[in-house]
Amino acid sequence: MKIMEDVSVVSQEKVAFQTHLLRLSAGRISREARLGQFLMVQVRDGTDPLLRRPFSFHRIDAEQGVVEILYRVVGRGTWWLSQCDSGARLRIIGPLGNGFQLPQCGPAPVVAVAGGIGIAPMMQLLEKLAQWLAPSGKTREIHLFYGARTAEEFIPGKAFDTLGITVHWSTDDGSRGHEGFVTRLLEDTMRREKIKPCVVYSCGPLAMQYHVARWALENGVPSQLSLESLMACGLGACLGCALPAVNPAAPQEEHYLHVCKDGPVFKAEMIQWHKIQTHPATPPIFLFS
Amino acid sequence: MAQNSNAPGDTPDLSVQLGPLRLRNPVMVASGTFGYGEEYEDFLDLERLGAIVVKGISLRPRPGNPPPRIVETAAGMINAIGLENVGVDVFLKSKLPHLQRLQVPVVVNIFGNTLEEYAQLAAKLDGVPGIAALEINISCPNVKEGGMVFGTDPLMAARVVQVVRRATALPLITKLTPNVTRIGDIARATVDAGSDMLSCINTVAAMAVDIFSRRPKLANVMGGLSGPAIKPIALRCTLEVLREVHCPVIGIGGIATPTDALEFLVLGARAVQVGTANFVNPSVTTEIIEGMERFLRVEKIARLEDCIGTLDTQCLFPFAEIACELTDLP
Ligand SMILES: Cc1cc2nc3c(=O)[nH]c(=O)nc-3n(C[C@H](O)[C@H](O)[C@H](O)COP(=O)(O)OP(=O)(O)OC[C@H]3O[C@@H](n4cnc5c(N)ncnc54)[C@H](O)[C@@H]3O)c2cc1C
Ligand SMILES: Cc1cc2nc3c(=O)[nH]c(=O)nc-3n(C[C@H](O)[C@H](O)[C@H](O)COP(=O)(O)O)c2cc1C
Ligand code: FES
Repeated sequence: MKIMEDVSVVSQEKVAFQTHLLRLSAGRISREARLGQFLMVQVRDGTDPLLRRPFSFHRIDAEQGVVEILYRVVGRGTWWLSQCDSGARLRIIGPLGNGFQLPQCGPAPVVAVAGGIGIAPMMQLLEKLAQWLAPSGKTREIHLFYGARTAEEFIPGKAFDTLGITVHWSTDDGSRGHEGFVTRLLEDTMRREKIKPCVVYSCGPLAMQYHVARWALENGVPSQLSLESLMACGLGACLGCALPAVNPAAPQEEHYLHVCKDGPVFKAEMIQWHKIQTHPATPPIFLFS
Repeated sequence: MAQNSNAPGDTPDLSVQLGPLRLRNPVMVASGTFGYGEEYEDFLDLERLGAIVVKGISLRPRPGNPPPRIVETAAGMINAIGLENVGVDVFLKSKLPHLQRLQVPVVVNIFGNTLEEYAQLAAKLDGVPGIAALEINISCPNVKEGGMVFGTDPLMAARVVQVVRRATALPLITKLTPNVTRIGDIARATVDAGSDMLSCINTVAAMAVDIFSRRPKLANVMGGLSGPAIKPIALRCTLEVLREVHCPVIGIGGIATPTDALEFLVLGARAVQVGTANFVNPSVTTEIIEGMERFLRVEKIARLEDCIGTLDTQCLFPFAEIACELTDLP
């Protein structure tokens, strides 16, 4: 069930370059939410901005009745959101979309790819995967390929080491880890180390997702890609969030899936990647302030 | 406005007569902003609505336009969805049955790319139980006439209405586009051709530019502006239409609050449709209905019908009003 809830901000902190962690006291939504799903946040009353903004659940804590979102300030909406102090009220709608599926493959290795703020829906998922097999005494190989433009964009992930998650870092400017694209690092590492994962989870810019999808398809790795698109409603009503997709019944025909109701998590083979037009590049934030 | 005695606590009567339809209140939802109703069931009781207008339906399914399909602008959004829809057959089989079970009038919004498509579509919907009326979207290109939009030419608009009129006995609402020089001319032509009612407005032609990529922000280059930004345009169009024809008119455009909705009713619209505001607040229609009720209580008006068409264009300023009373001007 989709819920519209008036929630209050528990806390907001800046955790990395232009990146904020927002904790919301959202009792009802937290009980219904699954990882990989998202919510629509009205960042402010009035008409500027008019539409709600979509954000993935970063953490869901049903016991505490708290959900967290991790977001990057890229424009007016996220800037206003970053101005909310503890106690502020926000109207949110959630949980929306389909969410991630847990792998059905015993202890086989799992690979995750996160580009920039694409880490948001991944952290808790990886923690869950790492802890999942613990009671049976087995361990699972988990590889996170984590890329960003520069080192200061990385989210401090204290838990990775203790959970036994291998992180492969990459930055565009070489300030941490591999210099270059994270998808290149993924391809090279997987080939070199002959890892046979049973699933790849991925979230990041569409340009990155394109390469992850191609790699997954070429290597026959089942994929769960959290994709994005501009959204007005998040409810399946406006049909604005369409992505070019493959119609299994008629592969030649023009066909679209909708990120808010068919996704945001898709298999690589569902999308017509060559038809995707990526968003305009994120403009420099100073233009907004 | 007529002042009726209204004991506090009395529920004001929000029902309105819209041509042959009796609506429990004048708040409808606009085509393309409410899906087929089911998308909103978690947020409101659909039976509280005056009527539901479903997403535009065509004879055959349509995939819609490539993305990006939407962009937000100041107090509004531009869309170029491309009229994506499941087609009339799937609509009748899998979308309508759910709505038929509800106690709420269902208006089916239809469109075609040729006159024949409009006619065949209307014939398919004729006599189907649970359809209260058809709303004809004439803001589509006529592929046989060089892609000129049906609704921008009085003769073409009238011919669409004529062929639909011949194909069905259902009450007809023609939905007017504001992207014309004289909306009154189109209104007159479509009413003369047999439209029982009019709704106005559809979206306002618009575009947006991305300075970094130097590209239009919509893949379709142009789209339709909706939301609070267009309300003043919609009010003006509604007034021009009301001055031209005497049939019932439904006001649409930028309605997001009870005040917005009442403005159209005061002008003379007999009902309103709420569009983009549903995206921002999926239960906004309930809030509008409740707000109208509060307005009637405060103003001590027993029936909403008594507000309709009460616009006074003679006395525009408070002092002028006093002057009117004092000098007994007409
Ligand atoms: C399902 C889903 C989950 C998301 N989860 C997160 C998350 O966990 N953390 C996070 O930081 N961001 C997330 N996003 C992206 C986030 O919604 C946008 O960054 C936000 O809407 C931008 O709003 P703004 O007003 O600040 O920017 P705007 O001024 O609207 O735009 C600034 C820039 O952001 C881009 N943008 C705007 N909206 C979107 C969008 N919906 N998707 C992608 N780019 C967009 C624009 O193209 C532009 O380049 C998610 C998007 C989707 C669809
Ligand atoms: C995403 C979207 C889809 C729409 N689809 C249709 C449609 O299929 N048929 C139609 O007649 N009008 C369509 N409209 C127009 C609306 O019904 C309405 O006339 C317009 O949006 C103005 O009202 P608003 O400002 O309240 O949104 C659509 C509008 C939007 C925003
Ligand atoms: S955002 Fe409106 S249909 Fe997906």
